[in-house]
Amino acid sequence: MKPKVLIVDDSALSRRTLRQILEPAGYAVEEAADGLIALELYSLDRPDVVLLDLVMKGMYGLEVLIKLRELDANARVVVVSADIQTSSHTLVEEAGARAFVNKPFDKADILKAMTSVLQEPPGGTYR
Amino acid sequence: MELTAEQQDALVEVINIAFGRAAASLSKLTGQRVQLEVPQVTMCPIEELSRGLRPMIVGDVASVHQIFSGPVVGDALLVIDQRSAAILKELLTSEPALPLEIDASAREVLTEIGNILLNACLGTFGNLLQVQVSFSVPHLTLETLEGVVSSITVGRQGLRYALIVHAGFRLRDSNLTGYLVIVLSVASIERLIRAIEQRERDQR
Repeated sequence: MKPKVLIVDDSALSRRTLRQILEPAGYAVEEAADGLIALELYSLDRPDVVLLDLVMKGMYGLEVLIKLRELDANARVVVVSADIQTSSHTLVEEAGARAFVNKPFDKADILKAMTSVLQEPPGGTYR
Repeated sequence: MELTAEQQDALVEVINIAFGRAAASLSKLTGQRVQLEVPQVTMCPIEELSRGLRPMIVGDVASVHQIFSGPVVGDALLVIDQRSAAILKELLTSEPALPLEIDASAREVLTEIGNILLNACLGTFGNLLQVQVSFSVPHLTLETLEGVVSSITVGRQGLRYALIVHAGFRLRDSNLTGYLVIVLSVASIERLIRAIEQRERDQR
């Protein structure tokens, strides 16, 4: 069965680009344009990995991350953001994200993050 | 309020690093070499902001605006003319640039490019100065430069002076020019200068 990925980003361009990377690599992709839809889809479908933007309309990405971890303490969340600050990496790591990929992203970086996060046991380490 | 030559020099160095990071991001997005002009730093009263920006671009502009907050508060803008906006759309989506209009696809591309470039620039500030900068959602507008400036200044009673930092960029094969502009209040300029001076002391 294909691993399920939920892309959470208010940019349609980013969602489309990620879909174009992930589908040919064998992932089943779902999209959410904001945090509330993401939380609903997560509850319904329990995707294997969530790719989460930080700065979004409505609910901020960090808040979405915290709520996802409340829903499922083992949720695998990879933050995909343009924010390059070291302090932001620390914040999301403390909130339970498994990895951080900076925009503009490389196909190789995304696929590498996906592979490593899926190979880790629940509660794995931050990359 | 005026900066000393030493403060101006230190500020330009930090801005150089930040804008260099933004140029690298744009190069990665478009697959083209990005030439960056030397950043220029000017200080002007808020009511003269429009005049200060005018020599850069004429006519209607596409601008992506993000408010940033934290120890340093201000506005960051990516400003480009309509022709350049259409070329960027073509580079990122393979959709034709002509006719030169900002359609839905171009809006989507510009907003995300603005988000990435402004984050690259201000995030470098945050990293270098060891402060956490938070960003608002990027907002794209298409209007005159005066309209853009007005949207920044209206309702900002405490903002009497603005630091305009701008650096033009050009994509070698695409003849595209745009500007990154950072507008800071006097209080934030002072905090920024103090942080830069502290960084220099720490490096000795």
